[in-house]
Amino acid sequence: MRNRHVMWSLILAALISLIPVGVSGQQRMAPVKIGAAGPFTGDLSKIGLDSLNAIYMAVDEANAEGGVRGRKIEVVVADDSGDPAKAVIVAERLAMDRNVMGVIGPMNSSAVKAALPIYQRVSLVLISQSATNPALTEMGYRVMHRICPRDDAQGPAAAKFIVEVAGARNVYIIDDKSTYGQGLADQVEATLRAAGVTTARGQIAPEDRDFSPILTRVKAAKPDLLYLALPSPSQAAALIKQATGLGLSPKLMGGDGLKERDQLIAGAGGSAQGMWVTAIGRDIKEVPEAREFITRFEGKHGAMSIFSGQSYEATKILIEAMRKAAGDDPAGLSRQKVLEAVHSTRDYRGILGFPVSFDSKGDVVGASIYVFQVQKDDFVQVREYPVETK
Amino acid sequence: MDQVLVQVPQQIVNGITLGCVYALLALGYSMVYGVLKMLNFAHGDVFMVGAFAGWGVFSLLTRGGSPVVNATFILAAMVLGATAATALLGAVIERLAYRPLRKGSRLAPLISALGVSIILQNMAMLMTSGRAKAIQTELLIPAGAGVHLGGASISVARLLIVGTSVGIMLALDSVVRRTRLGREMRATSQDLEAAEYVGIRTSRVIVSTFIIGSGLAGVAGVMIGLYYMQVDFTLGFSAGIKAFTAAVLGGIGNMRGAMAGGLLLGLTESLGVIVAAPVYKDAIVFTALVAALILRPAGLLGTQVRDRV
Repeated sequence: MRNRHVMWSLILAALISLIPVGVSGQQRMAPVKIGAAGPFTGDLSKIGLDSLNAIYMAVDEANAEGGVRGRKIEVVVADDSGDPAKAVIVAERLAMDRNVMGVIGPMNSSAVKAALPIYQRVSLVLISQSATNPALTEMGYRVMHRICPRDDAQGPAAAKFIVEVAGARNVYIIDDKSTYGQGLADQVEATLRAAGVTTARGQIAPEDRDFSPILTRVKAAKPDLLYLALPSPSQAAALIKQATGLGLSPKLMGGDGLKERDQLIAGAGGSAQGMWVTAIGRDIKEVPEAREFITRFEGKHGAMSIFSGQSYEATKILIEAMRKAAGDDPAGLSRQKVLEAVHSTRDYRGILGFPVSFDSKGDVVGASIYVFQVQKDDFVQVREYPVETK
Repeated sequence: MDQVLVQVPQQIVNGITLGCVYALLALGYSMVYGVLKMLNFAHGDVFMVGAFAGWGVFSLLTRGGSPVVNATFILAAMVLGATAATALLGAVIERLAYRPLRKGSRLAPLISALGVSIILQNMAMLMTSGRAKAIQTELLIPAGAGVHLGGASISVARLLIVGTSVGIMLALDSVVRRTRLGREMRATSQDLEAAEYVGIRTSRVIVSTFIIGSGLAGVAGVMIGLYYMQVDFTLGFSAGIKAFTAAVLGGIGNMRGAMAGGLLLGLTESLGVIVAAPVYKDAIVFTALVAALILRPAGLLGTQVRDRV
């Protein structure tokens, strides 16, 4: 009996020590809090944590400059594992904390979709760095903002590339039933069909690890290009490797969720060579204004993934808006004021390589879709498609 | 239509491969149930730990994308390492989480098993930060090599999985039927108290059952790692459910039934995909299970063989 008690208390102690504890500020005014919502555990935690590190970096810099007119800024970590059900729970938690004035994230379209009504109810503004499903800004929620272009820009751009550059005539599209995956797959398919390309569709589940059944179907369809609308680069890597194992070698293409070096390129061994992925942001390594950020980020956290730059920018925009909303009265800051300030952001010049503005729906204006190719062990930018605002 | 037919040979191969892994796992379920009348829901997670142990050995013995020693040696080391790790884990779980509850209600160990399952899963998640770990199977087993048979490609990895499983199952079958330990296991499963009266140290038999069952899960874990070429902390859950299903399908407590159930399940899952979309493969599996149990409530071999385990 004793053993069991010791074991349980050890486990309990270990779990308690893992709960993140915020740094308590000593200022007179309560700190302003920013919620960071995203998948910080689970399959997608790599992109989530890269993003979280960038958010912390932006907040630390702002605090060094005096926070929001003297009020310190704190980050509240809201881990949703990319799961819509958990996204709702963490949204409720952020909504209840009165000092939370804005949220960066959630990162996954399905998580945003589930949590939006809650954020809307309490007028808590959010800026997603990576949720690309078109519906999110079409549902009429005023709190919704994103600094990434939508899948109805990404999908058609990918399809255009498949027809014009890859020259494929028979395409097999696999998605994972998620809001993001299915939405992107629909966009790609519609544009390909309109261009007269033969398409076939297949779905997998996010928890699948064995892809032989679907790959056997793919093999029978003999496509010359396989398009993967999956949010998880590690799942895509496994799928690509298992395809090679079955003797399949179509050209490969995927969405922005897959542009992740460690999990996709390293994870797939040599099988991802030559694969194309679209990206919703420029490779910020080529933006002069971003050089300082990249050096500092990579010095501290290692290789940056695509959403690091976007998360940093989104956080900077939110803080800028908070400062504008605070004016001379930082204590009188309210969620409504911050929401209005974010909404009216025009031509914010940060590190993304284009001036960021939001249109009336909360969509970003002025972005481009880029196509990258896996060459050796990195992504190389091969095409740019400017986004026409809808 | 021709697109449907060309899939059949390959899907059969897929089904047999997967079925062999399910069968190994189902054996663990069935053995524990046979001896203790208890469902060990942590079995799937022991399997996941085995997969990670295999990955650990793999990454110790490879450097920068190339093996540091002979590939066959690495494969053997992965299997041995994982089996040792899971066998030990099985013994520890039995001692800490199940034995103290053995005299209590029949539900208590079930809850305890669920608890162990959640603990193992969360520990794996924390230790890996939730990231999938890649196993470069192609470093050990050439990816292109294999047999091509009537439109199906049977890779060396698949042959190894099937060969190992069948070998282990045959060995285990004769252990249970021919050795002293096997006799004691059968006696314990028939009547634990009576077995104790005739001088069988049932606690030792039970712990041996856990060690063997968990060791099998370790082997299965390594094989699934080589087959999926990736391991992650969620691996245990769905595999555990499938193996449990296979065990019930075959007649839980019956070892030959577990093997048959595993194979049948793998084949149903793979062949089902030919007619329905792959997302529905789990639905097909469970529909088949329900249908099979309506026809034979005790499972496929549940009534035909009298002495269990």
